[in-house]
Amino acid sequence: MIIVVNCGILDSYLSGNTGGEQLQIMERFDRIIIGAGLYGLYSALYSLKKGLNVLLLESDSGPFKRATYINQARVHQGYHYPRSLSTAIRSAGYFERFNRDYDFCINREFEQIYATSSQYSWTDGEQFREFCKAAGIPCKELSPGNYFKPGMCDGAFLTREYTYDAGILKDYFLDKLKEYDGSFKVKYGAVITGTDRSDDSYIIRESDGSEYSSSFVLNASYAGINQVLKLAGADGFDIKYELCEIILCEVNDVLKDTGFTVMDGPFFSIMPFGKTGYHSLTSVTFTPHSTSYERLPVFDCQNGSGGFCTRERLGNCNDCPAKPETAFPYMSSLAGKYLLDDYRFTYRGSLFSMKPILLSSEIDDSRPTVIRVLSESPTFVSVLSGKINTVYDLDEVLDSDQ
Amino acid sequence: MTNNDKSFNREKNFASAVLYVHNSQQWIGSFLKTVISVMEDNFEYSEIICVNDHSDDGSVGEIKKCAETAEKTSITVVNLSYFHGLEAAMNAGMDLTIGDFVFEFDRTVPDFSEDMIMKVYRRCLEGYDIVSASPDRNDRFTSRMFYAVFDRFSDVSYDMTTESFRILSRRVINRIRSMNKSVPYRKAVYANCGLKTDNIRYDIVGGSGYRRDRKEAKYRSGLAMDVLILFTDMGYRFGKAMTLFMMFMSVFMLVYSVVIYLLKHPVAGWTTTILFLSVSFLGLFGILTIIIKYLQLLVNLVFKRKNYSFESIEKLTGH
Repeated sequence: MIIVVNCGILDSYLSGNTGGEQLQIMERFDRIIIGAGLYGLYSALYSLKKGLNVLLLESDSGPFKRATYINQARVHQGYHYPRSLSTAIRSAGYFERFNRDYDFCINREFEQIYATSSQYSWTDGEQFREFCKAAGIPCKELSPGNYFKPGMCDGAFLTREYTYDAGILKDYFLDKLKEYDGSFKVKYGAVITGTDRSDDSYIIRESDGSEYSSSFVLNASYAGINQVLKLAGADGFDIKYELCEIILCEVNDVLKDTGFTVMDGPFFSIMPFGKTGYHSLTSVTFTPHSTSYERLPVFDCQNGSGGFCTRERLGNCNDCPAKPETAFPYMSSLAGKYLLDDYRFTYRGSLFSMKPILLSSEIDDSRPTVIRVLSESPTFVSVLSGKINTVYDLDEVLDSDQ
Repeated sequence: MTNNDKSFNREKNFASAVLYVHNSQQWIGSFLKTVISVMEDNFEYSEIICVNDHSDDGSVGEIKKCAETAEKTSITVVNLSYFHGLEAAMNAGMDLTIGDFVFEFDRTVPDFSEDMIMKVYRRCLEGYDIVSASPDRNDRFTSRMFYAVFDRFSDVSYDMTTESFRILSRRVINRIRSMNKSVPYRKAVYANCGLKTDNIRYDIVGGSGYRRDRKEAKYRSGLAMDVLILFTDMGYRFGKAMTLFMMFMSVFMLVYSVVIYLLKHPVAGWTTTILFLSVSFLGLFGILTIIIKYLQLLVNLVFKRKNYSFESIEKLTGH
């Protein structure tokens, strides 16, 4: 059986069936990193700077094709966690650092307005203000009536929150990685078929017959994390999977320089999407199209994907022939119920991606990034985080193996 | 999209349906199925919100089972923490809706035929912001009494009657939201909203054997009293009438005691006692009237916050 991890595009599995017949010399690396999202590229660059040689394996045809690109592109400063002060404070710390380090891809040129809904919110305006004060993050109270229909929101706040542009960030990392031509190898369309452990290293086998070994493997494949772990013969994280849709919208001039987030309940967000000129539209109830509670992702749409996506190998939802119909009518009705009619937006397109979410028993509020060490020397580490600017949580992992 | 003809004919408006569910395991399954099929066949986009008013039977299980048969429409269950009663429960559902038009199904017992739902919708498109559907039969005696008293003592044109479901436009929902801080009784608030409303009567099909459970029955009789006090001037008018009558009585007693004093020489103290009582009752009833008027003003301020409510603005001359 061929097991493909972190899913491949078409050419990756057409080339897949050669088994181990080709005889190849096993290449050895100081570190092997699985997954070319932000966490993967960051780790690669970090390791290269230490003088290590690195192999990066990615099943898509290029980096940043999934969650790093397909999300709200929010650089969190903690506003999202009005019921977890510790998480908020931690996010706020990373916020400054991320904006400094990746300044070139940050869009600051808009007003981000957070609002609390009058009904069904877990937090009201008063509580949100108190929370911001306690977390030390800026928030200026506005009049809800200037933005929202009468009676819909009981608080509106001008906040300091930015959005990053994944495209620009990707180019930056690719440029930087080029400088390490001799010690860095990246393989796109990689299909991992197995993982073995020897005394001092892990051996990763690929479907084209290549074999690589290293004493340090980092599993940064996000939604594919449990699938990679299974190949290593390990238990997965307790996660559920959500098939999510981010909608890109063209907006009118009134909405152009404004982002709205009605928070903490079944609400929505519409905010600039990096520097693309589009706004992303998402909602708590309609962004997730379907959910799987299995250790490995099982979805009805996989049956319609013609082998593109399976329980063992997640396809890129955005390229999938069986991706769901857009929920734009639902999300736009929800946003339209709240926002004044002056704010207009029209549908441009949808981006789909798979989102793993730690089940509540696993969530440690003070640390939204979960790092799990399967073994030490040889080292196999898996990292799972839902936020872009907590990428710095990786530093301790990447420094550990010296 | 197997049937193209059908999907072409679907309404482009977004429809929401709110269902009240309280211990209706027996009915909810088939009813929800009906609503799902009406929504999916007639509307391009729709949602169904089931408000579970603390059912302790298998209603929620039935809903979940049925929800699996839905293809396009989105189904949500709101579980209330304890028994709220119809009015608060429906408000909870209403607050969650996002549709341009919202159906409110007060009962999960379908005693109407399926096409009534769309009939009500089409009437709404003709320019009525609220269209309700009522069974074409005589109301129960208690209901008749209630509506008779309500109509007598309130000054709204809406002819109140038993309704099993209705449709509301987003426009009227927004207006109600800005008019009222809370909505203790929807029908009265709808009646007061000042927009055009209509009622359709339908022939009863099925739905026999339905019984309200004890909690609901108790809730309804309590609600009836609250509504009469809050939305009609029944209390004030009763108080005023009583005061006038009692004042008249007191004046009569005053005259009577003076006459008796002069003609019959009653036992010592009788005249002063009666005089005192008459004057104090006269005053007491006066004070009570003022208090009742006060309370009524407060009620009006809370439930009818807007000073006026208009139906439409017509511009008669243009340039």
